[in-house]
Amino acid sequence: MPLPQKGSELRVKIGGAAGLGIKAAGQTLARAFVNAGLEVFDLTEYPSLIRGGHNTYTLRVSPRPISSHVETVDVLIAFDRQTVDKHLDEVIDGGAVIFDPEVTSTDGWLPSNRIRPVPVPLKKFAKEAGGPIMANTVALGAALGLVHFPLDTLAESIAAQFAHKAEEITEQNIAAATVGHGYVSKMAGDFWMKVEGLPDAPRRVLVDGNEAVGLGALAAGIGFYAAYPMTPASSLLHFMAAHERDAGVVVKHTEDELAAMNMVAGAAFTGARSMCATSGGGFALMTEAFGMAGVSESAVVVGVFTRPGPATGMPTWTEQSDLRYVIHAGQGEFPRVVLAPGDQTDAFDLSWKAFNLADQLQTPVIILGDSYLSDNRQSVPYFDLDAVMVDRGKLVAEGDVADHPDALGEDGDYLRYKVADDGVSLRVLPGVKGATQLINSYEHDEYGWGQNGEIAAERTAQNEKRMRKLQLARKLVPPPAVFGADVAEADVAVLFFGTTKGPVLEAMRWLEPDGVKVAAMQVVTVWPFPADDVREFLGAAKRTVIVEGNYTGQLQGLVREQCLVDVDDTLHRYDGRPFSPEMVYAKLKEVADNG
Amino acid sequence: MVKVADIERALEPTWCPGCGNHMMWKALKEVIEESGMGFEDYAMVWGIGCHGNGADFYRSQGFHGLHGRALPVATGIALSNPSLKVIVSMGDGDGYGIGGNHFIHSVRRNIDMMAIYHNNQIYGLTTGQASPTSDQFMQTPSTPGGVVEEPVNPVGVAIAQGATFVARGFAGDVDHLKSLYRQALDHHGFSLVDVYQPCVTWNKINTFKWFRDRVYKLEELDGYDPSDRTMAFETSMSTFHELTCAPDECKVPIGVFYREEETFTYQDGLPQLDRPMWKHAEEPRDISEILETY
Ligand SMILES: Cc1ncc(C[n+]2csc(CCOP(=O)(O)OP(=O)(O)O)c2C)c(N)n1
Ligand code: SF4
Repeated sequence: MPLPQKGSELRVKIGGAAGLGIKAAGQTLARAFVNAGLEVFDLTEYPSLIRGGHNTYTLRVSPRPISSHVETVDVLIAFDRQTVDKHLDEVIDGGAVIFDPEVTSTDGWLPSNRIRPVPVPLKKFAKEAGGPIMANTVALGAALGLVHFPLDTLAESIAAQFAHKAEEITEQNIAAATVGHGYVSKMAGDFWMKVEGLPDAPRRVLVDGNEAVGLGALAAGIGFYAAYPMTPASSLLHFMAAHERDAGVVVKHTEDELAAMNMVAGAAFTGARSMCATSGGGFALMTEAFGMAGVSESAVVVGVFTRPGPATGMPTWTEQSDLRYVIHAGQGEFPRVVLAPGDQTDAFDLSWKAFNLADQLQTPVIILGDSYLSDNRQSVPYFDLDAVMVDRGKLVAEGDVADHPDALGEDGDYLRYKVADDGVSLRVLPGVKGATQLINSYEHDEYGWGQNGEIAAERTAQNEKRMRKLQLARKLVPPPAVFGADVAEADVAVLFFGTTKGPVLEAMRWLEPDGVKVAAMQVVTVWPFPADDVREFLGAAKRTVIVEGNYTGQLQGLVREQCLVDVDDTLHRYDGRPFSPEMVYAKLKEVADNG
Repeated sequence: MVKVADIERALEPTWCPGCGNHMMWKALKEVIEESGMGFEDYAMVWGIGCHGNGADFYRSQGFHGLHGRALPVATGIALSNPSLKVIVSMGDGDGYGIGGNHFIHSVRRNIDMMAIYHNNQIYGLTTGQASPTSDQFMQTPSTPGGVVEEPVNPVGVAIAQGATFVARGFAGDVDHLKSLYRQALDHHGFSLVDVYQPCVTWNKINTFKWFRDRVYKLEELDGYDPSDRTMAFETSMSTFHELTCAPDECKVPIGVFYREEETFTYQDGLPQLDRPMWKHAEEPRDISEILETY
């Protein structure tokens, strides 16, 4: 088993019906561990139902950096029998199951010599503490008691969670956790797992991917955010709305995605840094206006957080199948940049950078994520706020257009789309004196006039001007990131984009003790495609693998098309679940062994 | 301050001779001149259609958007720079058909902006298909057997939806149209001006003469009170089904149907919109306090 040594980290899974507050409870626990200096990664799995259905929340806790979930658990907290039936197999030998014998029947799975049953009267304790809905809090205390972890950090995170509610609620919840903790501590004296905090560890932030993108956008000075809810992008709308007053952002929940994208283009015209976000289905509706942003040279940022498609697909699950869609979306041809964060740190950095790129290139920039990024939280180093800078490109926000004679035509009118070597014309905001300009969804001439856009020479000049931005983009966009061994010395080289990063990095750590040397390249900017870097990387490798979460091998196809090379092997997943490091480990080991 | 001559570009409008768009062009240019605005004070947004080609003929801060999507673009502008007055120009196919959803929501939002609909009851630019406001039973290339469904009643829909300023004009009466534009521009809130703009090429029913025989002005009507929503709604319904009846049987009211003073606009609900939003991006925003909570 390629897992870190038994006992070196803790994996807890909580399962039960939707509506029980499983995720909220799990997140409180996660916060307690992070506050104690430990690293966490959590995974929420849920069907598209509000009540009923089966939800799970899995928390991985370690004193060392971790970057993904794993397939096995040490402690299962079962709020119902279904959780036992579905997840008992995932519990490692010697692991424990916390359950309420009053709620979860023990027929058929107890007694067991493989796992340790931890029966706790969760409901009864909860009622005594103040109400049955606190059963989940009792269970949190119980879980900590089991692993010999002190209660105080949990009490703190409960207090933080209920800070906006009546004090009584906090007190009742702390009481509930305390009974659970005390009860289990007594009976679990001999349980093998002990989790200890790291009091001197540096402060970490615990965020999901959408929060990281949102924080990056706020840091970049976003002024306008518009969206129509669609899982898994909806939580970014909530994040933005929560901060609209304190940060000073106009946030609009629109009538549909078409409105969102068009509003964002309108806001960009006034110079507001503006963004919308959705999932693939919503982006399908935005696509026409996305093309308009391209031809009108509007600086907009679009988040596309993928779930399995086509159409409504699997709303609450994950996939990496919109790569080709976003790089080609829109009829005709126009430049765009597509950035694919692999984790929370990437999400923050690429988010603020996306706004600079949109301004510098005056063209739409996509942040391509997926549910695995959007929904799951990871502890990461405090974001590097000092690195954030604002570059608005060629933009004049105030004054008089007469002060920019280079941007004026013979008649003294402002040339919004003046042909430029780098493809980027001077942008002047409405409000600047004398700057009449026509932003146009039609092809147009240098002034923006649609009629002249039909002249062959004007069309050619404008089209070439826009497409030249891709050359400039190549100089500005983040390059691929490389990890692990030097590719020339590696037994196997792996190429990936987006959130496969976590499982790949995790698998690479597990392969170290096996003596397998792995080199990895993350395609951070997927468009324009970094063909030279990828070709060089793959060309220097002994054996090559692409890991991607789709059926057709979209990244592999791009590599073939852009680099004229192919890889030796691939690993795909498209059942709605994220890659696990176990899967990646097995594949990389197989390729290395056969190489 | 913008003069009519400043608005005109070197290009002469390419609309068909006699098209109602010419008169609407004249009326709006003159009202902009009379308003005393400078080019930096307002922005125009256009949909797609013959009307939208006007984007080329008005010099202004402009955004010629997509078919049906002028209102959301205008909303983005209005909600990110409070110092700009926003004037939106749309067609009936454009604004009531493909953009119908945005129409309803823009009305209920009461965003401070002015929306002009060039209502020629036909698709001009795509050569004469039926539009959402085409008369029932009208024959067009897309409805050779006659339009089956009822036309949209934009004035009625807007009033029902809580609009705060609803007017209807006729391109054949430029002075009257100008007075509507002026009031719409002054209105604090979303103002709708639906304008009958005869398409002389494709619409052989609703011609200038057809309207001249039928229009009457609400302000000349005894007892008409534009602050009375019920009266406004009833008046909007009274002509709705009768556009093809004989001139003496049915009349087409033009003028201000409904006006609400002292309205609460969408912008009024956004205290954070106290300055143009681009000012937030002059340097990085300090998010350290927000980050502390994560
Ligand atoms: C998405 C989309 N669908 C169709 C068209 C084609 N189109 C251009 S103008 C138009 C209709 C114009 O009619 P109307 O809005 O009434 O304006 P008019 O030309 O009569 O002024 C259509 C369907 C388009 N440009 N975009
Ligand atoms: S087709 Fe009709 S609407 Fe278009 S320009 Fe000609 S007359 Fe005007």
